[in-house]
Order: sequence, then C-alpha cells, then structure tokens
Amino acid sequence: MSLARQRIRYVARRLLQAIPIVLAIVVVNFILLQFAEGDAADVLAGEAGSATPEYLAQLRAKFGLDQPVYIQLLVYIKNILMLDLGYSFRHDLPVFDLIVNRLGPTLILMITTILLAVGVGVLLGLLAATGLNTWRDNLISVFALVSYATPLFWVGLMLIVVFSIRLGWFPTSGMETIGAFYEGWDRVLNIAHHLVLPAITLSLFYLALYTRLMRASMLEQAGMDYVVTARAKGVGERTIVFRHILRNALLPVVTMAGVQIGSLIGGSVIVESVFGWPGLGLLAFDALFARDLNLLLGIFFLSACLVVAVNLVVDIIYSFLDPRIEVA
Amino acid sequence: MRACLKSFATVAIGALVGAVALVGPAQAQKQGGTLVYVVQPEPPTLASYLSTSGPIGQVATKVYEGLLEYDFDLNPQPGLAESWEISEDGKTITFTLHEGITFHDGTPLTSADVQFSIMEVLREVHPRGPNTFKEVEAVETPDALTAVFKLTNPAPYLIRALSGYESPILPKHLFEGTDLRNNPTANKPIGTGPYKFVEWEKGQYIRLDRNEDYWKEGLPYLDRLVARFIPDASTRTAAMEKGEVHFAAYGAIPNVDVVRIKELPDIEITTEGYSMINPLALIELDTTQPPFDKKEVRQAVSYAIDRNFVIDNIWFGFGKPATGAISSNFAPAGFYSDDVRRYDGEDRIERANKLLDEAGFPRKDDGKRFEIKHDIIPYGEEWRRLGEYIKQALGDVGIGVELRYEDVPTWLKRIYTNYDFALNSNFFYQLPDPTLGMHRQYLTEQIRQGTVFVNSSRYSNPKIDDLMAIAATEPNPDKRSAVYTEIQQILAEDLPVIPLFEMEFIVVYNSKFKDLVTSPLGVYASFDRAWLDE
Repeated sequence: MSLARQRIRYVARRLLQAIPIVLAIVVVNFILLQFAEGDAADVLAGEAGSATPEYLAQLRAKFGLDQPVYIQLLVYIKNILMLDLGYSFRHDLPVFDLIVNRLGPTLILMITTILLAVGVGVLLGLLAATGLNTWRDNLISVFALVSYATPLFWVGLMLIVVFSIRLGWFPTSGMETIGAFYEGWDRVLNIAHHLVLPAITLSLFYLALYTRLMRASMLEQAGMDYVVTARAKGVGERTIVFRHILRNALLPVVTMAGVQIGSLIGGSVIVESVFGWPGLGLLAFDALFARDLNLLLGIFFLSACLVVAVNLVVDIIYSFLDPRIEVA
Repeated sequence: MRACLKSFATVAIGALVGAVALVGPAQAQKQGGTLVYVVQPEPPTLASYLSTSGPIGQVATKVYEGLLEYDFDLNPQPGLAESWEISEDGKTITFTLHEGITFHDGTPLTSADVQFSIMEVLREVHPRGPNTFKEVEAVETPDALTAVFKLTNPAPYLIRALSGYESPILPKHLFEGTDLRNNPTANKPIGTGPYKFVEWEKGQYIRLDRNEDYWKEGLPYLDRLVARFIPDASTRTAAMEKGEVHFAAYGAIPNVDVVRIKELPDIEITTEGYSMINPLALIELDTTQPPFDKKEVRQAVSYAIDRNFVIDNIWFGFGKPATGAISSNFAPAGFYSDDVRRYDGEDRIERANKLLDEAGFPRKDDGKRFEIKHDIIPYGEEWRRLGEYIKQALGDVGIGVELRYEDVPTWLKRIYTNYDFALNSNFFYQLPDPTLGMHRQYLTEQIRQGTVFVNSSRYSNPKIDDLMAIAATEPNPDKRSAVYTEIQQILAEDLPVIPLFEMEFIVVYNSKFKDLVTSPLGVYASFDRAWLDE
C-alpha cells in the first residue's frame, strides 16, 4: 500500500472515531451546564429589572425550558446530528450566525498571536541555547520569566496607557475605527493597526512558553549521540545546529503549538475584554453568565470539532518532520 | 402635571412650537458630527418592548419614541402626542398625535399604532407593561390622530410612564400577526425616532444614522450615533480619555476613574438624567426567619450602618443618604416625606446595641450575638466593598457576618426563588412614580416566588396593602401625597427593607458635545437635540 493511500485511510478512520467522541463531549457539556443555578429566563427578567410570573413562564415555554431535561437533551442531540446548532433566544439570532460573526476576529487575533509567539519564541530559544549561560541566555531567560509571570490584563492596560494614551500610536480598543467604515486595503491596514497591541499582549504570554520549551529542547538534543557523531565526522557547528539539532528540537514545539491551536477558537477572554476585541472567548463568557446554553453548547461543539481536527493535523505533520513516526 | 389632575376637566395643551424653540437660541447649534457612546454591557437585542434592560433602552430610545417626553420636574411634555387631556374622573385620557409623523420605512404613524402598541404589545409582553397598563381597558381610535385611553380606575402614575424608554410606540404593520417574541425588528428596529438603525456588528458597535425625515423640524443635529461596546472598565476610561468615545452613562466609567478624569480639560460629568429611574440602594432582609423576623433587629442593622461613610468612601461621594422608602427625587411631585423614624442620629450605635439586647440577642462570651450570611448583589466591585463595610459595621454591634458573592443567575435564584438568604444588598429602580417602582417591594401580592425584583423580604402588612391600593388610584395629588407620607412612616418603623442611599449614576461626556442630557431620562432620551461644537 502506498504511503499516500495509507494516510488517507488513516485520516478517514480517525474522523470516524471522532464522531462518538464529539457526541460524548456534547452530552457531558449539556449535563454539566444543568448544574448551574438559574436559567436564561431568570437572567433576562433580572436584566429587565422586573417581570410578572406570566412573563417568566412565557419565556421558559419559548426557550423550551419547561420540558424535562432528558427531552431537552434528546432534542439538542437530534439537532446537532442534523448540524443545526439551534437558536439563541437571548440574541434572537441563530447560534451559527453568532459564532460565524465572531470567528473571523478570533482567527485574526489567534493566528497572529500563534505565529508571532512560535516564530519569536523559537528564535529566542535558539539564541539562548546556542549562547548557553552567556549574557544573551540570561537576558532571554529573564525576559521569558517576566512575561510569563505578568498578568495579561495588566500588560494590556500598560500597553494602552503607554502606546495609546501617552504616545498616541495605537487606538485603545476595538477592531476597526468606528465611524470611518473603510473599504478594501484601507480596512486591512486599519484592522492591522488595531491588532498590534492585543496581539503583542497575548503573544508575550505564549512566547515565554515557546522560548523556554525551545531552549530546553535544544539543550536536550545537543547532548544526544547523533550530535557527537556528527561532530566527530567533522560537520561544522552551524550545520549541526540547523540541520540536526533544530529539526529534532522542533517536535515538542509543534506538539505544544498543536494543543494551543486547539484552544484557538476559545479565544482569550482577558485580551478580548481589555481591548474590546469582538472574539469568541467573550461571547462564550457572556453566554455562560447569561445561561444562554444553546450558544454556549454551540461554541463548545465547534471547539471540540476543532481540537479533534487539529490533533489529526499535528499527527500528520509529525510524520513529515520525523519519518520514523508512522501513520497507521 | 398636578394642575391637570385637579377636579375640573382640564386640558394640557402641549406647546406646538418645535422642540428647537424650547432650547432657546443661547448657542447656535451646528449640523453634523458623529457621537460615539459607550453602552455597557452589549444589549442582547434591541427589543425594548420585550425587555426594559438598560443597554437595550440606551440604544432603542434613539429609534423608538413614546407618546410623551418629560421635563426635569417630571412634568409631561409633548412627544408623539402634541396634546393630551385627562377627564374629570381620571378615567379617560385623550391623546392627539402630531401630524405627519412617519416610521423609518415611510409608513405614517396613526392612532392604530398607538392602540396596537399599548394593548397588543406592551400590555402583553413588556416586563412592566401588565402592571403599568393594568387599568387600561381599551384604547379607542376615533380618527387617525386621536387615541383615547379608557381606564377601569384612575391611574395617576400612567401619565409618567409613556416615554420612549418605558412605552415605545411600534409600527403595527410590522408586528401584527407575527410572534412578538420572535420579530425580525428585535435586531433591526424601525421606529419614528431621530435616528435610523443601520447596522449592528455584534461585539463591536451599533450604527444609527440621522433620520432625514424626522418630524421635529431641523432635528436631529448629529449625522450619526455609534453605540460601542468595550467590556473592560479601564479600557472604557482610556477610550474616553483619548476621545475615541464621547459619552458614557450608568457607571460605564467607574466612579474611581471619574474622580480622576473629570479634571481633564475636555471631560465633563453630570449626575442629571436619572430622575425618572431613581435607583435606591437598599438591604433586603428575610422577615420570615429569625433573627430578622423581629423588627427591632432590622432597625438595629439600619442604625449600625453609616450611610455617609458608604457614599463617601465606596461610591466616591456620588449619592445621597436615603431617609425612607421613597426617593427624595419625588419631592417636587409631593410623594416624598422625611417625617419618618430616622436612623442617622449621633447615638445610633448605642441604639443598635440596645435594640439587639432587648430583642433577646445578648452578646456571648466572644462578643458576638449571632452570625448571618450576607449575600452581595453581583453587579460590580462597589457592592463587594459595601459587603466588606457591612461586615465590619455589623461586627461592631456584635453581629457576625460571612460574605457570599455568586454570579447573577445563581444569585437571582437564591433571592427570588429559593428565598435562601438572610441579608441581601440590592438596588431598586423606583421609576417615574412610586406606584410603578416601589410598591412591588412591599405588597403582599408581590410575594411571588420565581419573579425577580419583587417582595423577597416576604413582608406582609394589610395596612400597607390597603394604603398602596389607595395610592395607586387616588387622582387627587394632595390626598395621594398624604397616603404616601403614612406609607413611608409605617415602612420606616417596620423596615422590611433597609433603604441605604439614593444612587447617583454619573454621565461622563466630552465637552465638545452639547445638549446631551436634556431630560430626566438622560441616556434613555433620544439625543435629538445633541450637537457637536467644533
């Protein structure tokens, strides 16, 4: 059997296995959410400031909350199997529309962040490892430690204070200049301008992780027998680092990045909140406090699907990076 | 307002002159400009006929209007109705609509829209509508511009409940025969207001553009309104500081930041624009269980709390100590009385200790009389600080306090469904009339398990029930005032709910915008006269 066909069969099997897993996740999520006190009708009535009992009863009937829990679950599963994520009564919009609306901004922020964090992290880790115990290594290690240990919201607010209020280089918040309504390339530039501070804030945290991981991984590989062998053969240091060590040292980083891309769709509540970025994290957060279960389950469902897919992709990338790992 | 309720059939003819003339020619208003205002949190929908939720009202009131508007003394002013007349017996109110008003889709506004909005929508699906319009038997429409409210009993409060925030007038043709709770206009409203809905980028902003065909001549001045959503309080302050947003109300800028940024040259603040809402901070007590089933214990708690300390240190000086169950903002209308038992004397701590001793709760060896849990309303940091203060203040008189802070749905369930609490901090909107906002917290029939923001103290006093029934239907303002004085005296003695202070929310705005707060509705008014001076 050719390698390509083997890969296709592997992917198909993994996808099939994923269906019961995702369904199980949906059921567990649904049950977990039932433990939360209060429901969407309570919240809506609470926000309204007052309500009559008839109003609450009408709301519950409309949301289907007057049905027994197992009926609600069965209805939900039936809908999910038909790829219908349901309706958010709170927003008076289909759950799918709400999520799709937020998916773009989430992806823009998270992909930029991951690229920035992995790219710079790998570079810094490499620099630290190759200059072990020099001032360069120490400086990078301290930087990584500090940026990992600093609370995200504080970093965000400080960046706003310095770069928005004092220097005026960047806008404080939002994804676009409100009221300008740019089109085409102007819009892209405008979004990029708004993206800088949130992306840096979020990257700082992840970047520290990758730097430390890369540094440790490089050092581990540098002590391996194949490096000694290469050196004995007379291979130059530069070639050893870039051809041999780097390639092997990247494996744990890829694993880590894979895990984090899985959490990508979840966004970052803190950064979205501080910078007013219209991402999914905040949507999920608000949905939880509003007990908007359809919306919350919809986001969970998409996250579960994404995690399954990303894990699959990471496994395949492994097999390219290291041919000894087989997909079977 | 009071004159038109007097015994003769009186007519209150609203000024026919345009609203522009009301402002006066002090400054020349300019056309144009975009106002960006912060709305916090983002509203779930814009269906103000389904929910009175604050953020919904802050946006929807620019699109939907009411029959009336109000001046700062809560007197009705012409709105969609250019004049109105209340009959001698108080049971008929005749509204004459302004001529030539159209909805944003071009359909003319007629009395049929008024009839439909009141009878089919607000009375049926609005959270407060069934109470507000309880006495409205029918709305008759003798011609296209006349709407006649027929009441079963006089409803003196009704005339103050007809703003665009409280009772929006909707286009009948877009609602008739549809599911009201599932109408497409929930996310794209079509009204008669000065601004038209254009788009809503969820999580970012709502854009409203100038209504070129607005019925008030020459208004609005602004070209565009943008309601922005910024979840983080510090970022909202930063955006205000930088001039990215120009207006924020209802605590969107926290008091702690207001104190700082109000010193900036282009930032101004006001506490006006909340007197139709009248928020009152208070403590609810479970009057059915020991220890708070004894009124002496409740009184002791009230004595123990230093209201001025709370206002000065937790709310940064914004607020006014409450003397009783009704806000002093109702003084012009004649409903407020401070001739009640007061809890602010010099000797309040001694009094509290004495009452607790007499109530059968002497101090034990550890200095404590008894212990309770204090539930904190989960609506922000200030309330947690208040909880910490209450813990300390009650500790001083020997009541041990444990604090409990939960998320909104859990808290609502605990207080209003499970009644599983002893002492709970809260605030109630008293709205434009005590009948609308305050009765619900004290009436026996308002002990409604599962209904939020009603009588969770489960206080039941037939005398209060009777007096409130009179207050709700008495057309004579002087008699009504006397009834409210008696109600306040009884409640100050019984104290099922401990009034703490009248909250003063703050409006923070950029000084290049003028005439933003022009009515007691504040941000719930339409911004029709706001303009940019640049």
